[in-house]
Amino acid sequence: MKDMGLFSQLVYYFSHNGMYVLSQFNQTFLVSIYGVLLGAIVGIPLGIWISQYRRLSPVIIGIANVIQTIPSLAMLSILMLGLGLGQTTVIVTVFLYSLLPIIKNTYTGMLSVDADVLDAGKGMGMTRFQVMMTIRIPLSLSVIIAGIRNALVIGIGITVIGSFIGSGGLGDIIVRGTNATDGGAIILAGALPTALMAIITDLVLSFIEKRLTPKTSSER
Amino acid sequence: MRKHLRQWLAAFLVAVVLLPLGGCALPGLSGSGNNTVRIASQNTTEQQIMAYVIAGMIGHYTNLNTTIINNLGSGNVSFNALKNKQADISSIRFNGTDLTTILNEKFERDPAKVNTTVTREFQQRYQMTYFKSYGFADTYAWMVKPAFAKKHHLKTVSDLKKLAPTMKVGIDQIWQNRQGDGYPAFQKMYGYSFGTVLPMQTGLLYDALSADKMDAILGYSTDGRVNSYHLKLLKDDKNFFPPYDGSAVATDAILKQHPELRSVLNRLVGKISLKTMQQLNYQVDDQLEEPQTVANNFLKEHHYFEGGND
Repeated sequence: MKDMGLFSQLVYYFSHNGMYVLSQFNQTFLVSIYGVLLGAIVGIPLGIWISQYRRLSPVIIGIANVIQTIPSLAMLSILMLGLGLGQTTVIVTVFLYSLLPIIKNTYTGMLSVDADVLDAGKGMGMTRFQVMMTIRIPLSLSVIIAGIRNALVIGIGITVIGSFIGSGGLGDIIVRGTNATDGGAIILAGALPTALMAIITDLVLSFIEKRLTPKTSSER
Repeated sequence: MRKHLRQWLAAFLVAVVLLPLGGCALPGLSGSGNNTVRIASQNTTEQQIMAYVIAGMIGHYTNLNTTIINNLGSGNVSFNALKNKQADISSIRFNGTDLTTILNEKFERDPAKVNTTVTREFQQRYQMTYFKSYGFADTYAWMVKPAFAKKHHLKTVSDLKKLAPTMKVGIDQIWQNRQGDGYPAFQKMYGYSFGTVLPMQTGLLYDALSADKMDAILGYSTDGRVNSYHLKLLKDDKNFFPPYDGSAVATDAILKQHPELRSVLNRLVGKISLKTMQQLNYQVDDQLEEPQTVANNFLKEHHYFEGGND
């Protein structure tokens, strides 16, 4: 193998272990998605809530900020003490890290809705709930998606590190490459799909974000 | 205003309640459900190959799911995973190592005695079943580059005596202070010490030797890199290093819950020789094959050891 160039080693690796890489790819993707999904389930209502009761916002955002400052490997190890080895711990870690971007973006999105539009809604006799459902949320959706997009890219990075507490995924391939003889090709075989995953999810979500950005009637 | 506050609070509470539920049974992931067997594997090649061999066997003979907890840092970590019920099967454990590190028993050179003590004590103290050996034993071995061996006419470990004071050797981190078969006892038995001893991660040893950063290393006899670097193993002429039989270990809890696992694991007993293990290791370490691919090919080639002992 040593006489092959790095690139041909990489091609050889993919042709022999393609199915394995694919299954690890899936696993990494799912773990990140689940973490972020849970983050959205908790973070979006929380963001909306603190935008309504603004006194609470420094507290909630402060807590999320503190979580974000903990290095991910430390967070994984701390949670491992309570939750044990494996994917559950990694999902919870991704969840915690996705809280800040999601809460913050939801909060900002809610507040940046044009006051005139809100007034118009109120003037039409809408209840507070109707204003929320028909004006605030639709108009801030693109900002919220931007937060989710941020969270997902962070989440993929964390899931790869999660390999150290036995969660599997593409991180396993990278770690194995660092142990193997001449593991350069193996490291790339794990790192390239990871980067690709982050880039593609980022592109897809940015597309959705653009579609959801509110347009005035003249732009349509 | 009050009413809406309540609504949001309710939504928040529902989300919090849903959270732990989500952890155990998400579609697409092998969680820690009732039908999942968790296999602990360390960060070495042979551990990972055997973990996938076991997973493949379980998949073939039962309808249980398997999940592999990979990259655990040492034998202790993987043992604790079993002890704390975070894993059910340990892919390979070496009885000689477990005797001194896990059980804290006195060092013993007789393989048969080691085997009975470890099997008995694991059962009694930790309620874990030590299976019979896969058929290969791992042992430490001094290795040098063939050119170095030729130049100094090295064949046995005793031949190093004259060179030792000027030699730079690499060892793994555990060996230096190990009781019984560690460096102190080695110095006593062979009657010499090395000039410089550098403890480091096992994987780095082989690279360091091949890059001429070391004169000799203490590696593992089953390692695939012995072949890929064409290293020369020096004969342990005073029989200092005892062979450590490699076996699977499973918790009694999982064997009770799924009794069929016992016969599945027993099918592997005695089926994997030192040569086979070296070869499998070589395919992973040198031929760019993933442990899973190697394990599956190996099992298919041997028809999942069907028709063996039941």
